[in-house]
Amino acid sequence: MIEQKVPKLNRYFEEQIAMCNQRSKKLLDDERTDEAAFEKVKANVYDIFRTILSVAVKTSKGDPDAVRRFFVQKTEQIPSSWVTAYDKAKQHNDTVKMCLEQIKLDTIGEIKENFAKTWEGAE
Amino acid sequence: MTEAEAIRLFKCLSDKSRLQILKSLAIEDMYVERLAERLGITAPTVSFHLKKLADAGAVSSYKSQYYMMYSLKKDIFETSILEILQEESDEAEVQEQRDAEYRQKVVDAFFEYGKLKAIPTQRKKERIVLEVIAQAFEYDRIYTEREVNIIIADFHDDFCTIRRDMVGEQLLDRDARGYWRIKP
Repeated sequence: MIEQKVPKLNRYFEEQIAMCNQRSKKLLDDERTDEAAFEKVKANVYDIFRTILSVAVKTSKGDPDAVRRFFVQKTEQIPSSWVTAYDKAKQHNDTVKMCLEQIKLDTIGEIKENFAKTWEGAE
Repeated sequence: MTEAEAIRLFKCLSDKSRLQILKSLAIEDMYVERLAERLGITAPTVSFHLKKLADAGAVSSYKSQYYMMYSLKKDIFETSILEILQEESDEAEVQEQRDAEYRQKVVDAFFEYGKLKAIPTQRKKERIVLEVIAQAFEYDRIYTEREVNIIIADFHDDFCTIRRDMVGEQLLDRDARGYWRIKP
């Protein structure tokens, strides 16, 4: 089953990155520079977790449970600093930073949901 | 309006979403959710743009019952572009502004919510950072080493390096009685 899940997840990441880049270009053409940058931030988050998935696959030597464990652990570990940054920004009423951190947190939330659906759902 | 203020305002206005927010506020004062609904962008994105507009002096806010209302700062927009262009810029003033902008850039890069993220390696930048920390010290007061350390520790854990560098940069001086802030 791992042979099906991993390519499916990779396709998901590639599609999301392509969509973000497309939206970013459209927003740039529409003179909405900051919102275009938001799409780039989202694309970066997808790209980080696409890389993490490939590392998980490489290090787990075909054990699907090890892939899941590694990936899920990273989806908790990496965004913890984003949560801290968001809370700190909120404390200081820094709306600009809050918005950027929220985008990252929303994106990782979506990635986690999709991973669970693809990984657990196919079991 | 100074050159720096004009540049900040023009930079801020060169974004379609922000222009649309201003167009909406030109009709009437609005709150974030109302603007989001009207413009088809999310509330956090509207807040993001409003913060930038507020920083550029284009909008102001006030509390009305449960809502934070935003309004256009009409006086800013009553200034004509020709007036901005005709404003004479004194070279010394321009230089002073450049220095202030550079200083602010360094402060923004090295401080986060009042805490020093890292001690700059470049001497020029470190001097600026140390000057900011020196503002926490009163003039005409002798501080014990422990008091100095406590004040500096509010900014950064490495209070020894900072204390030593502040003396080296002649922001603080010391003798057997303790430390004091040197007047510029």
